[in-house]
Amino acid sequence: MAQRTGTPKKGAGPLAYLSRGSTLKSLIPLMPFLAFVAYFLVFPLTFIIRDAFLSNDGKFTLDNFAECFKGVYGHSFAVSIRLSFISAMIGAIAGAMIASAVVKTGTRSRRAIAATSSVFANTGGVPLAFMFLAGFGTEGLVTKALKAVGWNLYSGSFTLFSETGIILVYCFFQIPLMVLIFTPALENIKPEWREASDSLGGGRFSYFSRISVPLLFPAFLSTTLLLFANSFSAYATARAMTAGTLPLMPLLIGNLVDGNVLANQEHLGHAMAVCMIGVSAIVMGIYLLVLKFSKAKP
Amino acid sequence: MLAASAFFVFPLIAAFEFSLRVNQGKSHGFDNFRWVFQQEGFKTNLGVSFRLALLTAVAVLVLMVPTVVYLHLGGGRWKRMIEFICLVPLVVPVISFALGVGTAFPVFLQSTVYELSFLYVIVSLPYTYRALDVGLSSIPLLTLVEASRASGASMRQTLLFVIVPTIRSAVNGAVFLAIALSLGEFTLAVLLHWDTFPTWIANISQGHILNAIALSVLSLVGAWLVVVVMAIAPKSLRSNKTQEATS
Repeated sequence: MAQRTGTPKKGAGPLAYLSRGSTLKSLIPLMPFLAFVAYFLVFPLTFIIRDAFLSNDGKFTLDNFAECFKGVYGHSFAVSIRLSFISAMIGAIAGAMIASAVVKTGTRSRRAIAATSSVFANTGGVPLAFMFLAGFGTEGLVTKALKAVGWNLYSGSFTLFSETGIILVYCFFQIPLMVLIFTPALENIKPEWREASDSLGGGRFSYFSRISVPLLFPAFLSTTLLLFANSFSAYATARAMTAGTLPLMPLLIGNLVDGNVLANQEHLGHAMAVCMIGVSAIVMGIYLLVLKFSKAKP
Repeated sequence: MLAASAFFVFPLIAAFEFSLRVNQGKSHGFDNFRWVFQQEGFKTNLGVSFRLALLTAVAVLVLMVPTVVYLHLGGGRWKRMIEFICLVPLVVPVISFALGVGTAFPVFLQSTVYELSFLYVIVSLPYTYRALDVGLSSIPLLTLVEASRASGASMRQTLLFVIVPTIRSAVNGAVFLAIALSLGEFTLAVLLHWDTFPTWIANISQGHILNAIALSVLSLVGAWLVVVVMAIAPKSLRSNKTQEATS
């Protein structure tokens, strides 16, 4: 989408009557937004960060964070990060493959697929969990059908409530999310480039390895990081799927603050919440760097 | 491609088959669906969710449209900062956000279910901002504003009668995103102890599994139908101006 006319450049806007005066004055129209964000976003965040550093009698302490990396809590870090990583990788690769098939179809079907993806990418919680129970559970239809053709899903250690099972379920929203975000990137690849590569004697493989992969890699990587953050913070689905069988960070935090355990562990929950913000801040930091880097290239 | 669609379609079909089971799986019928509609909570909780969605949509419009328009006109130097702020909700996992809200907010705010709407505005910021930003980038905003101002319109009139109609599809996109998010949000609602439609489904599911499956099928297929019909509706039903602007 090309910018048709000169939208104002950064800095001094051409509409002098709007940006006249000092820098601070130009902030005034943004005040409602800033006030809203300050109250509804920044204010709660400062509270959990403050609480994470408080002991039960209200004194400053780092014990909560030390506790975070011990025992089941430390284990949940590893499980959450590994699970998010694997489901992001599967989602990204499968989603990219589907997206590359989608761009070859017509406008209307592409639009329908985009709409469908946006619905599926937003499924979660109980509805998603039940769909998979009905399909892949011990009594599920897919399980039975596969058994009929000689493949017993449950002959090994597989259950829907294990790590593998959760990854399978997460794919149901990760893949559509990838399709949704990655298709526009693929649409920017011009057919002329393929033709140019062909006329210069490039084969299918060299087109793939020298043109499409380098061109698409930044978009691919940044979307993968987004998928990681997405499954890392997924709570509703995890809660519906595992009745506490799998230690995932969001579930443990939920238990800690929901009064299912001793009340004096609330600050531990806050510390873990801060740790989660830390992990996804790192991931999103890399995401922003990748975006910046890819924009800097002509 | 076929294998991929099988992965998405099979669980749906299986869930649908389960939802039709009656008499301990001996026969099929629509009893489970009927049961759902007869529940007291169905109407009230759906009503709460719809009201939340409506309030969220209005709040998004009132807050975001003037802000993003201003960024495109005179406030360009703040664009980077606002963009960054709008990304923050992606960085903060919703569960962490919910904890913070639970401890930080005063009682008077936490005593009404509509506090959720304001939180949904925050959670949907990354998406609504981007939708509006893209929409505004694709129109000759400056020319429109100057023409409108030269004709004697006030800034408010320009915003309401010139800019908003021109970026109608971007505005619609932002509103739909906000509505979809508020209708399906679970984490904030459950951790702040409110009953909305998604938490009601979760409650029902304990003890009424087949009915809950019916409900799940219903909500997913319903949402899908609405979105797909909107997406592939003939051109004349959609805004013509934005068609020109985006093509």
